[in-house]
Amino acid sequence: MSKNFFEINDVTFSIGGKNKVNDVNISIENEGDIICILGPSGIGKTTMLRTIAGLEKIKKGQIILKNKIISSSKIHLEPEKRNIALSFQENSLFPHYTVNKNIHLGVKKNSLNNKKIESKEIIKILNIESILDKYPHQISAGESQRASLARSLISQPDLLLLDEPLSNVDQSFKEDIQVALKQILKENKISTIVVTHDSYEAFYLGSKCALILDNEVKQFDDPYNVYHFPNSIQVVNFLNRGILLPAKVTGGNSLENDDLGIIKGKFIKHYPTGSKVQLLLQPEDLEHDDDSNLKLEVVDRKFRGTNFIYTLKTPSNRLIPVAVHTHHWEQHEVNEKFGIKRPIELEHIVCF
Amino acid sequence: MLKNLNIWFVSSLLISLTVIIPILTVFSSFFENTTNYFDILKNTFLFEYTLNSFCLLVSVLSLTFIIGTCSAYLVSFYEFPLSNFFKWALILSFAVPPYIYAYSLTAFFENYGTAYTILKNLFGEGNYNTHIPKFDGMLGSILSISFSLFGYVYILARASFLYQSQNLIDLGKNLGFSNFRSFYSVILPSARPAIVAGLSLVAMETLAEFGAVDFFSINTLTTGIYNSWIAFDDLAFANQLSFFLLLFIFALFILENLSRKKAKYHFNSRGGFKRKEKLKLTRHKALLAFTFCFFIFFMSFLFPLSQMLYWTIKFPENLFDLKIMELFLNTIYLVFLSSIILILFSLISNYGNRVSNNKMLNIFSTLSISGYAIPGVILAVAFITFVAWFDDNIIKTLGFLSIKKIFFGSILGLVLVYFIRFYSLAFNGIKSGYEKINIYVDESAYLLGYSKRKTFMNIHIPFLRNSLLFVGILVSLEIIRELPITLILRPFNFETFATTAYISASEDLLEAAAVPSLFLILIAALFIMISSKYILRDNNE
Repeated sequence: MSKNFFEINDVTFSIGGKNKVNDVNISIENEGDIICILGPSGIGKTTMLRTIAGLEKIKKGQIILKNKIISSSKIHLEPEKRNIALSFQENSLFPHYTVNKNIHLGVKKNSLNNKKIESKEIIKILNIESILDKYPHQISAGESQRASLARSLISQPDLLLLDEPLSNVDQSFKEDIQVALKQILKENKISTIVVTHDSYEAFYLGSKCALILDNEVKQFDDPYNVYHFPNSIQVVNFLNRGILLPAKVTGGNSLENDDLGIIKGKFIKHYPTGSKVQLLLQPEDLEHDDDSNLKLEVVDRKFRGTNFIYTLKTPSNRLIPVAVHTHHWEQHEVNEKFGIKRPIELEHIVCF
Repeated sequence: MLKNLNIWFVSSLLISLTVIIPILTVFSSFFENTTNYFDILKNTFLFEYTLNSFCLLVSVLSLTFIIGTCSAYLVSFYEFPLSNFFKWALILSFAVPPYIYAYSLTAFFENYGTAYTILKNLFGEGNYNTHIPKFDGMLGSILSISFSLFGYVYILARASFLYQSQNLIDLGKNLGFSNFRSFYSVILPSARPAIVAGLSLVAMETLAEFGAVDFFSINTLTTGIYNSWIAFDDLAFANQLSFFLLLFIFALFILENLSRKKAKYHFNSRGGFKRKEKLKLTRHKALLAFTFCFFIFFMSFLFPLSQMLYWTIKFPENLFDLKIMELFLNTIYLVFLSSIILILFSLISNYGNRVSNNKMLNIFSTLSISGYAIPGVILAVAFITFVAWFDDNIIKTLGFLSIKKIFFGSILGLVLVYFIRFYSLAFNGIKSGYEKINIYVDESAYLLGYSKRKTFMNIHIPFLRNSLLFVGILVSLEIIRELPITLILRPFNFETFATTAYISASEDLLEAAAVPSLFLILIAALFIMISSKYILRDNNE
């Protein structure tokens, strides 16, 4: 008997005879937990959701929901019998029904379910009151996506699958809806798998994130660890939040880089003294200090709202990102010199 | 394949196979022995048959291209007196089948015909017959078929013109093009796929045409097929001739398919679409445009209609001799029965294809929709061949009673061949409706707990309601006009407006053919008027 609410054991996900993601092992421990699947476009995230929903079959491994095998090489429970809701990225509303009818088609299902979700509340939270009497072709892509999400929520599923649920939603709504959505899911204990390519959305919604890269799950961990302790160079490259610099381990808590000098901190993994490694340097790792004697040339400055991200060029022509608060006392322009505080001390040292 | 075995898959497969069998019969006949009719024909008329078919085809294509494209261009781009009326009135030409047009043409221009009567009434007695041109033979066939079929080119060209972006026209103006130069170097090339698609339909119908060419005694491959079966009782050779014609038609079919793909590509790339403002024509330009459209409308619809009406009034006894109500009920009975069966089975087959997503089934479906490309005469002959073979080799061998009576000269056989002939119309019509339903809609229904049957009944059928109505009307229109299949396979003493008109005309009793022809035109026109908004697709549905 499985101790997890939902499990994917050793499953290879494929579509049209082509393997997309191999040997996947991920799980939802408790009812009501949310996990996120993160990865680049076309990697097979949607295929995973479709397979979990029963729209695709598997040849290897098994998928278990509430201690019942719903997919394996021999068993395939039909989608209509799984009580799994999938909110598609594409418009999936019934074109000949109004939005209101579309949403309430979900209500009929599982009336015996002990979860009690008020449709009025969902409609209000998702801000779709004004489009209830409209037909799908009369509304925008974002509105259609929210209506589809409402229908899935109202159907009170055992497992909710959301495929890029807010990809077409305006930025101004997006964060509010993320907060409201998380609250509804938690309050009603709806176990959810969210597929997204937006790492911030994944980090906010999910208690765990699975990173799909190179046809496999590279890392399945909580968001903090995925961000700060990526377990492979591929994960670093995908998150695109730092660079790798060549360095030499000089002791139990230090290493040295030709351009930056000695860097101190706590290694998350042991490396023997003298070994050559690739050090992960993230934008938050270095501090600005124009009094420092370590000065690098600014080659670019990106405005990111709360931060500027400076791109600095080292003597060996490497480009390093450094984040500085936008209200920071001194700004630098391109071609100016930017001082880096020494000694450089990092919270954690991540190397490969 | 076995894992896909469900009721929908099996139903779709059976429907496709039923439609494919006559097509395969035609192909298989290629290897059979024939009587010496082939030698006779080879040494005598085969060249004439082929040449006539070719001449007819090239002339009809040229004429329908000119009439269809020019009229579509005028009503799409310009505003002139009655331009909105002509927009839909021009499709009324569909209500007049080529053979009825041929009767009208003959009735008007023949010696002492309507033209003579008009001249006599205007100018008194005189020897007018020698001055009245005679539109019979090849010329009559070309005119009859062209005025009856130009609607295919008109509808498709107009749809293409309608969705041509104003940006394209503006670009032409920006480059300093005159209206005429814009037409042939910008507008026409953009509409090419649609025009080619329309011309392919005209080509298929022309090669399949039987009534008009038979009336004018023009020997084509189609009449050759009919003769080899009727006069020489040589089914195998009739099938072999059909095979050659079929190959030619398949080549056209492929061409049409290829061009339609291009057309689809065209519509998808509608980036920056801007609706056109129609240019208002004044004075002599408006008069010219009006005259052209009125001439086409008059020639294609008013002329045959008034000729038939004139004769009906002139010879009222024909109206009373004919059992109008019986003919009407027979026609409507066939139309409703066939339409319902066609819609029902095409709907099931489409849904079966959709849910099974099986390559083999897709191939069978594609083959089965080629039935429309096969002339009615060929289909009827192929059907008889197959049933006769099946009865002789299977049924009788097993010791059962002959099934020939069930299928020959019966409503069942007739409806079955209608089904094969018009299956592609119904299948494609419903398919285009289905293409508007995203596959995610089905999947959403499953995830909401709907079974496949419930999804079909509760989600698809309500959505496809309009498409089904349109397909029903389109199929009905074809069946009302259909002649050779009805002629060959109808039960004894069972007549429709089409067969009564043909029989009277073939007995040189054109006056008697007028009444059924008039009723046929009126019923068909009524169906066209009901469906015109779907046919013209102004709302981009």
